Amino acid sequence: MFRPIASIAATTVGEAIRRKVLLIILLIGVLFLVVAPGLGMLSARSETTVLRGMMLGIIQLTSAVIAIVLTVYMIPNEIERRTIYTILSKPVQRWQFLVGKYFGAVSALLMMMTLMTSVLVFTFWLQQRDASAIPDLIKAPVMYFVQMSLLAAVAIFFSTFVSPLVNFFLSGGLYLLGSLFAPFFQTLQESQGTPPAAKVFAQLINTILPNFANYNIQNPIINPGQQIQNEGSYYLQVTVYGVLYIAGLLVAGTIVFDRREV
Amino acid sequence: MRPLAAAIETKQLTKTYKSRIHGKINVVDSLDLHVEEGEIFGFLGPNGAGKTTTIKMLLSIIYPDAGEGYVLGKEIGDMSVHRLISYVPERPYYYEHMTGLELLKFYASLFGINDQALFVRLLEKVNLHRDMSKTISQYSKGMQQRVGLAQALLNDPKLMFLDEPTGGLDPIAHREIRDLILSFREEGRTVFISSHELSEVELICDRVAIINKGVIARQGKLTDLLRGGRVEVTFEGVTEQWLKDKGMRDSHVRTIAGGVLLDTTEEEDINALIDAARSNSGRIVSIVPRRKRLEDLFIQTVTDAPAAAAKKTITVEESTSV
Amino acid sequence: MSMTSGINRTPLIGAIVGCALGIFVLQNGIGNQPTGKQYESISETLKNGNTRTVKKLKSGVATPAFQGISSSWQRDFNQGTVETQGLSPDQLLFALAGFREMIAGILWVRADSFFDSGNYDAILPIIRLVTVLDPKQIDVYATGMWHIGYNFTDEEQRSDRRYIPSALALGKEGARNNSLTYEMFFETGWMWYHKIDDDYSNAVTWFERAQERPDMIPARRNLITNAYERDGKVDKSLDTLFKLYETAGKKAKEDAAFGNKQNRDTLENKLDTTLVRMVQRGWFAGKDGRPLTGYDVNPPFDTGFSAKVTVTEARVLRFEGTWNVLPVGTRIRAVLRDADFPNAKPAGMEWDFSNDVNLDPPRDKTFMQEQLFVRNQRFNKKVDMSKDPTMYPFTSKDYVIEFYYNPRSAPPHIQDKFSWNGEGFTDKNFLNTQVREGQRVMYTSVKISKDQLLRRGDWREKVPVIKTANYLDKDGKAYNQADQVTIDLPSLRAN
Repeated sequence: MFRPIASIAATTVGEAIRRKVLLIILLIGVLFLVVAPGLGMLSARSETTVLRGMMLGIIQLTSAVIAIVLTVYMIPNEIERRTIYTILSKPVQRWQFLVGKYFGAVSALLMMMTLMTSVLVFTFWLQQRDASAIPDLIKAPVMYFVQMSLLAAVAIFFSTFVSPLVNFFLSGGLYLLGSLFAPFFQTLQESQGTPPAAKVFAQLINTILPNFANYNIQNPIINPGQQIQNEGSYYLQVTVYGVLYIAGLLVAGTIVFDRREV
Repeated sequence: MRPLAAAIETKQLTKTYKSRIHGKINVVDSLDLHVEEGEIFGFLGPNGAGKTTTIKMLLSIIYPDAGEGYVLGKEIGDMSVHRLISYVPERPYYYEHMTGLELLKFYASLFGINDQALFVRLLEKVNLHRDMSKTISQYSKGMQQRVGLAQALLNDPKLMFLDEPTGGLDPIAHREIRDLILSFREEGRTVFISSHELSEVELICDRVAIINKGVIARQGKLTDLLRGGRVEVTFEGVTEQWLKDKGMRDSHVRTIAGGVLLDTTEEEDINALIDAARSNSGRIVSIVPRRKRLEDLFIQTVTDAPAAAAKKTITVEESTSV
Repeated sequence: MSMTSGINRTPLIGAIVGCALGIFVLQNGIGNQPTGKQYESISETLKNGNTRTVKKLKSGVATPAFQGISSSWQRDFNQGTVETQGLSPDQLLFALAGFREMIAGILWVRADSFFDSGNYDAILPIIRLVTVLDPKQIDVYATGMWHIGYNFTDEEQRSDRRYIPSALALGKEGARNNSLTYEMFFETGWMWYHKIDDDYSNAVTWFERAQERPDMIPARRNLITNAYERDGKVDKSLDTLFKLYETAGKKAKEDAAFGNKQNRDTLENKLDTTLVRMVQRGWFAGKDGRPLTGYDVNPPFDTGFSAKVTVTEARVLRFEGTWNVLPVGTRIRAVLRDADFPNAKPAGMEWDFSNDVNLDPPRDKTFMQEQLFVRNQRFNKKVDMSKDPTMYPFTSKDYVIEFYYNPRSAPPHIQDKFSWNGEGFTDKNFLNTQVREGQRVMYTSVKISKDQLLRRGDWREKVPVIKTANYLDKDGKAYNQADQVTIDLPSLRAN
């Protein structure tokens, strides 16, 4: 049952790490990471703040673009190139195909994000010569990885029924919305002027939307000084949240994809 | 009700698509197919006739809207049959970054097979063993088609579906593929070929079905279907009028350089005519039987039906004497 | 017969419902989730000696059965609410587009290059945008506030004061968004204490609020005692000094680090000095009701203020005058502003009137404030407002010139005579106890017209001179020059 998933995932990784567009995006990200300390030096007073903020931001932005570009084309390309037929004519269930593709995407993402994080650590160490800050710094890319896995699941779910271009904007839009809604939600909930119906509606959206903001844990890392409580259990919670959401999306994707005429 | 002997059996198999302009269209309409085990079956039809749709239904890649179908005795939708069949899609594309060997390894892993000797043997069979370390991106179209056939043999299938197996290939590649397909029959496999390249099908298929606009127009043994050819007899020493006066059905007479040519059907009593000519001091220059060709049958079939659109896609070749 | 397709959907839909339930519980938690306002910050000392701020639920707020991700995230990771007011649509889009910290960082780097090139106009919107994108970047708030308050004015004179309310508003916003840490409270207090250098009660309020934050560094805690002194609360200052000294002593005992010992010694010195001064200035005697005979502050010293203002050219003023205090260190405040300047009050304005960070203060208003430095009992300063018309637009018809001196701002060696509240201070002509309620200050004002300032109309050829009746030239003669028209400053006690 898992062997076809693993085979399809491995093949997907092989294909993904050879896709030129992804490699170019990755290269740009890495380049920015390398030159970031040079920019940071300009701002003497808040050097590390700027440096951390920029480097983590570059990793997050690059990863998000890679996650979307990687995933939105995956299934439509298989159909367009008819490779999917050869696979589906073998003893492979559609859900296995979908899940295999997903894990392939996530594995490729993991490889690329690991590379960027290594560059981050190396550049940061070179610049700051402060190894003690590094474990804290790495927390963010780890959480970004869960975030990007969720984003990839969103994109692969949509890819079972919309075209890549529409999916690009749909997934990208949902990512922005899911990142933005949490701070907005706070304002809405605490404001006296918000009508109760709007609060309920906001609560509903906050529950349904994939809450990408959950993984935006960079602020205390960039602006240190505040103790984060139950840090480990928070990370565990958001990871479980991500896994559940991904599972839900993959099951929903399977239902759609199983009926889909390819 | 299950016909056990048949490799493929469909009853009233129907696939309907909804179109905004035309409403519901039966892409495949009440299809009754019968493919015997061990034969090479040609599934013919112009582009858009419903060939690929039918294959996809038989492979459970899409689902029929009505009717029933059995592949190797199992109702379609039963995934267990996938262990016994294989499929090479039309103009297949394989993951370009893989080598031929890696490609076989990948597809074999989907069956849970990992047998290096088998991979090499199959690559030898399709004459790619010297190129197995090259990536697919370095393969020619013919090589890609052959590696496709190799992957289709991984599970030692009883039934193979080949969709336009020679499409877009040069004549030498045609021949290589043709020989491979014939070898599959010798190995006891059933081969289901969908094609519109009629000369190929004519050369290798035992039985054919012609589908047009989703409907089976003809189905049967090739020899039966092609019965009813014509004969050309060239006379010397008889007049055009003399021949015309014999009153043969469905025949044409005309004077040519060095004689008179009669073009008539096989069914007419040619021998009697020849005897009559000889006794009339005539001489027979040549007798050329012109067997009915698949092209004729095909064109006749698709033009009989109101298939104006289908006509355009068919290349009508000049029929030449054998 | 119709063939049904593929898999059985019922268990799959069940699985989705299961996932959704899990997601709901994780995200929203179980029980009432605390909001941001229900936390208070508490200082916690780490093993390495550093302190960190921890958010704890206020007493009386129930801990939820299970705290959801949403609530935890809001507590620990939220970048701050998106403040949309005052943002242009493209800036808003930026803010909404995620990656807030990164964009904030990039912008801040860009702002830095503008600092170098002196392109101050370009920095203001960036500061605004950065603080909106990442309201937790205290450095940007602090630098931005300092920049607007101190730097954003004409390059030579630094006399424009119209931006101070904006700087204060930025400080207030920074404190609101970073209420867990002392920094913005301290910075806002500093703006009152040092830049506005008046209304010290506000400095005290902000320093007190900074003091409540546990992460405030010891050396900065000491400053509040100076603010208490300037606010006239000398007893409170002494009291605070004692407390700080006690804490610093304990700290130095626990950890004999250089910084700790140094802080204790500094406080000890300051405490000594303060006590000596309190005695010398008769503070204790005054409180006991004993006669102040023999104390430095008795009898009050007459500063003998006189002044002359000459409009030497259009938009160029020369301030001259006398001040009988011989030691250096006196700075007399001179203000030139629109007669109807909004929120104006004597020798200043309601600095704190707005909560909005308005980067576009009244462009058509003028508010010039200068320090007149006294040497050898005289001051003489040219103020040139002709260079930058955006700073001093002079669009109104009528203007006010004000002179102001508050002994509370005086350096200690002068305060040894005047004392903290001006007990030893007087001016025969211009002592005023109204403009700063309960305080003894020197204050006087006079009207001046646009024509006079710009040397237009009737004043094209004539040189307007405004002087107090007691003004004497350097050589001691009464002021009298034929080509100049003298306008006497009103004085109740003159002559």
